[in-house]
Amino acid sequence: MTELIQALIFGALIGGVYALMSTGLTLAFGVMKVVNMAQGAFLIASSYFCYALWQHFGIDPILAAFIVMVPMAGLGLVCYKLVIARLERIDPGLTIVATFALALVTESLLALTWGPNEVGTTPSYFNQAFHFSSLVIPRAQLYAFLLAAVVTGALHLVVKRTWLGHAIIAASQNPEGARLVGIEPSRVGARVFALAAGSTAFGGAALSFLYQFTPDTQDAWLGITLSVVILGGLGSMPGAFAAGLLLGVSESLTTTYLSVRWSAAVPTVLILIVLTVRPQGLLTRATRQDAAS
Amino acid sequence: MTQPTSPAIRTLRRAWIPAALLALIAVPLLSANLYYQNMLIMTFLLAIGASGWNIMGGYAGYISLGNSAFIGLGGYTTGILAAKWNLSPFIGCLAGGLVCALAAALLSLATRRTRGMYFVIVTFAALQLLEIVTTAWSGLTGGSEGLAMPVPNWNLDYQDWPFYYPLLALMVAVIAVSWWVRRSKLGLGLFAIRDDEDKAAGLGLRTALYKMIAFVLGGTFLGIAGGIYAYYISFLNSAAVFDVVTSMLIVLCALLGGRGTLWGPVLGAFIIAPISNFTSTNLGGADAGPIRLLLFGALLGGVALFLPRGVLPAIAARLARSAPGADQSDAAESASTYAAEPVAASTASAVATAGSGDVFVATGLGKSFGGLRAVDGVDLSLGGGRVTGLIGPNGSGKTTLFNLIDGTVPTREGTIALAGRRLERAGRPGRAHAGLARTYQLPRLFPSLTVLENIVAGERGFSFARLWNHRVSASEHERASAVLDELGLAAYADASPADLSYGQRKLVELAQVLWFDPAVVMLDEPAAGISPALSARLAAMVRALPPRGTAVLLVEHDFAFVSSLCQDVYVMAQGGVIARGTVAEISADPAVVDAYLGDTVASQTTGSNA
Repeated sequence: MTELIQALIFGALIGGVYALMSTGLTLAFGVMKVVNMAQGAFLIASSYFCYALWQHFGIDPILAAFIVMVPMAGLGLVCYKLVIARLERIDPGLTIVATFALALVTESLLALTWGPNEVGTTPSYFNQAFHFSSLVIPRAQLYAFLLAAVVTGALHLVVKRTWLGHAIIAASQNPEGARLVGIEPSRVGARVFALAAGSTAFGGAALSFLYQFTPDTQDAWLGITLSVVILGGLGSMPGAFAAGLLLGVSESLTTTYLSVRWSAAVPTVLILIVLTVRPQGLLTRATRQDAAS
Repeated sequence: MTQPTSPAIRTLRRAWIPAALLALIAVPLLSANLYYQNMLIMTFLLAIGASGWNIMGGYAGYISLGNSAFIGLGGYTTGILAAKWNLSPFIGCLAGGLVCALAAALLSLATRRTRGMYFVIVTFAALQLLEIVTTAWSGLTGGSEGLAMPVPNWNLDYQDWPFYYPLLALMVAVIAVSWWVRRSKLGLGLFAIRDDEDKAAGLGLRTALYKMIAFVLGGTFLGIAGGIYAYYISFLNSAAVFDVVTSMLIVLCALLGGRGTLWGPVLGAFIIAPISNFTSTNLGGADAGPIRLLLFGALLGGVALFLPRGVLPAIAARLARSAPGADQSDAAESASTYAAEPVAASTASAVATAGSGDVFVATGLGKSFGGLRAVDGVDLSLGGGRVTGLIGPNGSGKTTLFNLIDGTVPTREGTIALAGRRLERAGRPGRAHAGLARTYQLPRLFPSLTVLENIVAGERGFSFARLWNHRVSASEHERASAVLDELGLAAYADASPADLSYGQRKLVELAQVLWFDPAVVMLDEPAAGISPALSARLAAMVRALPPRGTAVLLVEHDFAFVSSLCQDVYVMAQGGVIARGTVAEISADPAVVDAYLGDTVASQTTGSNA
């Protein structure tokens, strides 16, 4: 019984972190229907930036995320202007190929800068835990989970409550109509991408002290974030959070009761099952767009 | 995508293919240089991968980022069979192809209900999953230790011939199959799917099967190649054979050469493989991997951004532009549109005799979007040989009703029966096969197909044998030419529908749905926005249907057009039918006048009809 509760706790904590890592993809996918295959690479890039700040200045990775957010947002903006905006105009089908190319370029630049060896940050709460009778709650995981709740909650409020959020939804649902009321979809798109890439800094920060990482792990992280977004029903922050929890718990149960080797297969298996059986996601209802497209 | 080619280019091409093939056959016989043999082996592998990818990714427009999974899956199947059961390489490679065919068929199931970008994700996930499974299932695959292939024992004088010639043969086979697919009904359907998948399904094409066959074809060849490749590299390592970078190279070859063309992917492979070979032999040190990744990542991004159609189409476009007299046909042909006289109009009542009971009956159809009740319990029956009008204000649910009837929106409430056969559970192709056809408010034709191919695209049934037939058989060509002649569009037979005017496209779309002789034809605002001459011709086409027993349902705002054609009229408002009757009855109905027609129209029509 303790074993089960412990597995559920680990799973839920990591699940929250998965949701945090996916915020950028959730935003871009959900409101713009653009799949950014460079999400994993952006995530690892954020981790390396946090690692650099930690290594050179001893800045705690969670604090470093607020600094890293700025260059990441800039990267998102540039990526939108140079790649997405152009391809949405000439051939939207190729957007996914181009962002995949961007992922490989990012991976190679990270490898050229930091080399192929595993690194990680080690703040004071790294490898520490709270104990409640026989249950263990690792501090790093707990802080990362809280960070996840705060960041996804904040992004949810931005989308639902602010003018930018309304503009984002308007521009994604009806670009022509948005233009008529003074919202320029391409400018909104640029902001979404800046916000999406910027928020990835927090996921990258959490990753930097929870895992050892190398540049070529980016495609595994891409698989996990894609899995979260697809399970969550494409784009809502609460949906992604719930999907993250589901994924985290499934992985943790697989690790506990089957084998850690097989837990890596969980995200991709879930992607394949959901897209074959219930493509609108596990946690959403069908909408008019699903029926019509 | 059949681009017109000049005779000179065609002759050149005819001579080049055998010459190039002979040269490739001769290379290992003439030169013992293993560097070039190895480079060509990699080229063949990439060409097989890219050409196979192209059937699904280029023809049908479903991009995959996981095609290298087939190399790994074929390789591991062959390797395991050889290592565990000592099976002959020949059978092993074929088994690899078979396993890949099954895997491709399974993966293509994900395209039944999802489109483009989801397929990319599915293929990417499948590639990752295979790597994880081969690593985790160490009992079968050797896990992270890898799997050593049995060393083949042939005379060393043969060098790499036993890899070289089978891969060359396989490459020739893939090209031949691609060529064959392009000119078959299968290819016609795949290009139609790329252009407008919903529309293709509405014309009776079993799109899910088309896509499955396309993906299976490409996967099978790559799986066989993967088996040969496994013997070639002699050691399988899951991280290496399922590397996403190989998938990326396959996509790069196809995009660079020209997605959807026959020779583009092959050309791409012959450009990329030598570069790849050069960098892997000349770059050394810890940074070699990242530099290669940077190079190919940047190349892929650059091609997607700046050469999205690829080298071959770009060259073809340039040749076409410089060729003299390319657009002389335009002026001559557009004249024919106006030369044609409207067919003499008979009055609607005169032909309302062929009907015999209700061919089509729908009851209780309903659909809500969130809180909005778009269609609310509509009963509708259409008499064979009669034209039934459906009118109502914008937003009254007419188009949603069409979508419910033809299956664009799944029918969850109510029943549909055509000639007594229940159809509410059938998908779009199934309803088309039963005899249901429609046109769209804005005509939807396939721009990748010629006007004539558009006309013959519809299918009243599915058969595998038919898929391999030529795109347009001789008898179909003759009949379709006659149809186009009648429409005054004969000169456009080989043009793209993009070159037609809006009104002409409406005519062609009507001819397209009439091609497969449907029992029920639904027309969504056929006369909207077209010239009076074309409108009259269209009316004549509609009038010709009832004598054949066809039931016609016509949505239209032009009440004069409706009253000249229709025997019965339904009036919809706010999702429900508010009136039904003859034109005269409808125009006298105060509820209809109030909801839709308005006083003037009503009094005019009652006046003229009386």
